Amino acid sequence: MSAPLLEVRELSRRFGGLLALDRVSFAVQTGEIFGLIGPNGAGKTTLFNLISGVTPPTGGAVLWRGAAITGQAPHRLNRLGLARTFQNLRLFDGLSVLDNLLVALQRHPRSSALAGLLGTAGHQRAERQRLDTAWQLLEELALAAMAERPAGTLAYGDRRRLEMARALATRPQLLLLDEPAAGLNPAEKDQLCQLIGELRQRHQLSVLIIEHHVPLLMRLCDRLAVLDFGVRIALGKPDAVRRDPKVIEAYLGTGSGTS
Amino acid sequence: MIDNGLLVQMLLGALLGLSVYLPLAAGQLSLATPAFYAVGGTLAALLSTRWSALGATATGGFPLPSLLLELALGGLLAGLLALLVGRLVLRLQGIYLAIATIALVEIVRVAILNLPFTGGAVGIFAIPQPFASAAGYLLPALALLALAGWLCQRLDAMPLGRAMAAIRDDELAASCMGIDTTRVKLTAFVLSAVLAGSTGALAAHFLNTWNARQGTFDASITTLAFVILGGSRTWLGPVVGGLLLTALPELLRPVGDVRLVLFGLVILLGPVVAPQGLITPGLLERLGGRGKEAKP
Repeated sequence: MSAPLLEVRELSRRFGGLLALDRVSFAVQTGEIFGLIGPNGAGKTTLFNLISGVTPPTGGAVLWRGAAITGQAPHRLNRLGLARTFQNLRLFDGLSVLDNLLVALQRHPRSSALAGLLGTAGHQRAERQRLDTAWQLLEELALAAMAERPAGTLAYGDRRRLEMARALATRPQLLLLDEPAAGLNPAEKDQLCQLIGELRQRHQLSVLIIEHHVPLLMRLCDRLAVLDFGVRIALGKPDAVRRDPKVIEAYLGTGSGTS
Repeated sequence: MIDNGLLVQMLLGALLGLSVYLPLAAGQLSLATPAFYAVGGTLAALLSTRWSALGATATGGFPLPSLLLELALGGLLAGLLALLVGRLVLRLQGIYLAIATIALVEIVRVAILNLPFTGGAVGIFAIPQPFASAAGYLLPALALLALAGWLCQRLDAMPLGRAMAAIRDDELAASCMGIDTTRVKLTAFVLSAVLAGSTGALAAHFLNTWNARQGTFDASITTLAFVILGGSRTWLGPVVGGLLLTALPELLRPVGDVRLVLFGLVILLGPVVAPQGLITPGLLERLGGRGKEAKP
């Protein structure tokens, strides 16, 4: 069997006296939607920050197709094919929706600064290609109508989709979604669930997703890992995880009322 | 009231405004512009007075191609210095970067004051003149400003300029989108230095004498005021700010000593009346200047 797309091996992160992540391991296979759940403060976002290079780990390793990428700069990891969204939305608020995507598209295709300054035919072709891709993504995520507006003026749900569009624009193989359904109403959550499935098909994505909304993950994910106080307490298919007594105790609560 | 000499000074002010604007467009508050201006000016003053191959005549004349060569060399030397210093100081953020760049201005000032070949406190004088009158300097100053303006305008429509804007909005998000933020910030810093260095080389000839007082902390604040008053969201802002604030002290001369108080008031009240600066993207849009690409 070939190496998994992403492997997290014994990954740890300590903040002073707090061990936010304690030797967490799992692997995401190509084409898979992999869910990460856990109560608040379980270390989910910390784990994302370690994987995307935002924070260096204090122990363990991250592997991309079997090669170590631990502690590399975020832009290098993005160029490898790993793109993320942020739980608390970090759009370029002063730029238009379209420009947010053009920023992410700057290496697709690449063009030299000299060609850009001189406005050569090659540069114009590259710009047209970027614009085409940007408009395609805007249509795909139902953002085309607001393309010229500053990103900061969009409604919350639109901002969430714009973050996904911006991450997709960097042509990732693995998309890291940090609580994409946070703040959405139930109908929007359903739409999002469908959208993520469609995007995976169309862009040949693997997805690693953090989510609080458990029913959504149960439906969407091929496999799940459960974190609690920085420790991975369960790993497996949704059905198995749902029945795991440790998970029920730590996260889903006992008895009924799981969402 | 505005003679040719003042016009040239205003254009030089606009150029220095753009030099402060470039790093700021990438979110970096650098006050190093006067240091690079001083480096360019000192180099031009030294070359034209010491190196006879450049063709300075006994009557104080100077060939135009040599001036252009000096503009290029002044920009190059300032750019190299920025490349070295930038790697270190651009690790700092916000006000810490500003303080580090003030330190650079001081280091360059003290160096020029004390080096054995820069003329000490008196400086270098009788710098040869490529033009017979101040009017002659209008053309190269305008050309340099046009070149800088064109560069800034092009940046808006290419990946580098968009990366700078993205870093200004959110550096972390920009790096997660595959942008090498260190490199983009360094590029903006070097461009800023090249512009200031070339401006200094031109100013050295125009002013006829050159000494350490040309690049001081005062100048850091004045050039920053150009950008704050003019606006930092488009490149036209610092140009307008540089033109206005250079002209103002001269235009206020008739009112006597009160003029510096009035000058201070303008700098103080500018941001209160127009927090975004005089020239904003919204204003330009209303004037119908710049349309963005429409949906195909």
